[in-house]
Amino acid sequence: MSALFRPLSSLRLTLVGMILLAIGAALSYGNPDSTPIWVLVVPMALLAVNLLAAIIINPRIHRRGSLLVFHLALLGVVCLAAIGCLTRFEAHVELLQDTAFSTDGLFDLHKGPWHSGDLEHVTFVQGPYTVDYAAGMVRGPTRSEVRVPDGRGGWETREIGDDKPLVLNGYRFYTSFNKGFAPILTWIPEHGQPETGSVHMPAYPLFEFKQDNSWTPPGGPEIKFWLRLATGMTDKEAWVLDGRKTQGVLVVNTGGERVELKPGDTVKVAGGALRYERLSTWMGYKIFYDPTLHWLFVTAIIGVLGLFTHFWQKFGNWSVLDKVPSASIPLPGGEGKVNPSPSGIRVGMREIEHYSLREQ
Amino acid sequence: MNEINTTATELPWLWAGLSAYALATVIVVRAVLIRGAAAGAAINRSYENQVFLLLVSGVVLLAAALAERWMRIGHGPFVNLFELLMSQLFSLGVIFSITYWRFPVIRPSAVVALPLMWILGIWILLLQPVDAAFPPTYSNNWLWVHVGFGKIFLGLCMVGTALAGTILLRSNPRLALWFRHMPADTILDHFAWRFMLLAFVFHSLMLVAGAVWAQDAWGRYWSWDALETSSFLTWLALGGAIHARLAYRIPIRAGAIFICVVFVLAFLTYFGAPFYSQAAHKGVI
Repeated sequence: MSALFRPLSSLRLTLVGMILLAIGAALSYGNPDSTPIWVLVVPMALLAVNLLAAIIINPRIHRRGSLLVFHLALLGVVCLAAIGCLTRFEAHVELLQDTAFSTDGLFDLHKGPWHSGDLEHVTFVQGPYTVDYAAGMVRGPTRSEVRVPDGRGGWETREIGDDKPLVLNGYRFYTSFNKGFAPILTWIPEHGQPETGSVHMPAYPLFEFKQDNSWTPPGGPEIKFWLRLATGMTDKEAWVLDGRKTQGVLVVNTGGERVELKPGDTVKVAGGALRYERLSTWMGYKIFYDPTLHWLFVTAIIGVLGLFTHFWQKFGNWSVLDKVPSASIPLPGGEGKVNPSPSGIRVGMREIEHYSLREQ
Repeated sequence: MNEINTTATELPWLWAGLSAYALATVIVVRAVLIRGAAAGAAINRSYENQVFLLLVSGVVLLAAALAERWMRIGHGPFVNLFELLMSQLFSLGVIFSITYWRFPVIRPSAVVALPLMWILGIWILLLQPVDAAFPPTYSNNWLWVHVGFGKIFLGLCMVGTALAGTILLRSNPRLALWFRHMPADTILDHFAWRFMLLAFVFHSLMLVAGAVWAQDAWGRYWSWDALETSSFLTWLALGGAIHARLAYRIPIRAGAIFICVVFVLAFLTYFGAPFYSQAAHKGVI
């Protein structure tokens, strides 16, 4: 058994693993698509095996409790990070005000093969939001209202934004800079039932100059929309983006005809009519799920505490440095004088080399 | 020539703090390199109190500069290079002053440490004290924890590097005279690595706190951005150097070179990232 573990626990292997991991880390800078995950997985697996073997057979590790804790925690962090990658879920979603979260609109979805979360049962309703902007169009805090079930059959309102996510069933919903306006439209076909929906305009104010989109009704030609907004936006002074205080005129272009609509107005188009109900907003969220997050934190902290304890037990006594003799050489020229001859210095240094600093 | 920014009321405090550091540097250099190396000169340590007082004065004046700027622009020194350099000059000064006071025997290593701080000192003099917008994701307590541990790490790393630099300078018999007040290389080496081990602890804490902040701020705890990649490489380099030092009993001078390499990596992490990445941390805008 020992013959098997000894080469695996070699410190030379540790250093090789660290060099490979450093190369992998450098290649992973910026998460380029061309770099496979194996550049990190292989050295981490090598280091994990090496660490496990060292923990088992190296008495310098397993006989020192705090050092053992550090190395076990390090192994734990690697394992948890791996489990996290396999169970992780990441996606983005754009949520219209006053609509409930649904998994239908997810995009940029990345899901680990072991992911078995419960996103379908996550329930919340998007409310209004505000975003502060400082002079020069510098984005400030985002305050997004959401309504979540209170567990007693009702709803409670929460305010989230920036570094304060909404956490439901382990899924973390983060607001993003990606947010904008959405005219609510009702399509009234010549034959059939009216249907109400929304057209999400590009992110605002990032694409303030390009608030347009299009929609093709069933069987009809494409309708182009352009939204003319009065948000109070200015780069000269601070302002607040607030959908509730924003007026929007919807310019509809169909078949070469251009019509301006205010909320409540209707325009006839091929195959039916289109009514501009009101102006609403949408908020873009990043969704993140990793069941190992809290364990990773606890394990990492335990590891660092173990390392610090080991350090303190071994090197905690710094007062030894106060007792260390200086390398200066008292010479016949008087106390504290140094022999100008370089050879004198060398002798002094050699003498001092005999001073052994005992580890505490 | 750049125009002086008259609204930057922190500048007089900054210049006063830098002047205190400059005076401390001049006194140390004069005492250690010139007088200390003079043939037959007596060992005179009276300058050390002056240096300590000047270092503490520099720290206090820089604290005043930071406070003044904070009150003027409404946020802490976390965003642009001018602010980062100013806060690093403060924190490096605090940590070096503490070690200078606590361990008299290693005081001549200030000849190495203070010039390292002066890299930042000269750099900040070349920058305009422009105001920087405070990103909303920076209003997070974990940012403080992350930055605090990072500053302790760099300070300890600098003290270790000052000792390592002393060892390397002393390897030249002519320069050995400068540091004859100091303990032998074996002892300096031992203590340099102690500081580096402690730096490793704080670097690890910095990474953990940074990951928690990143998770809150940007919805991911690790994303291989410029600072994350660079700080992880520094952590690996320091971890590898400690393993090599413990396992192979590498020669003292080689160990000193390792320490200097780790410091260079740490320095590049702190002050080099802005040059190869527009946004050091993803989502900073």
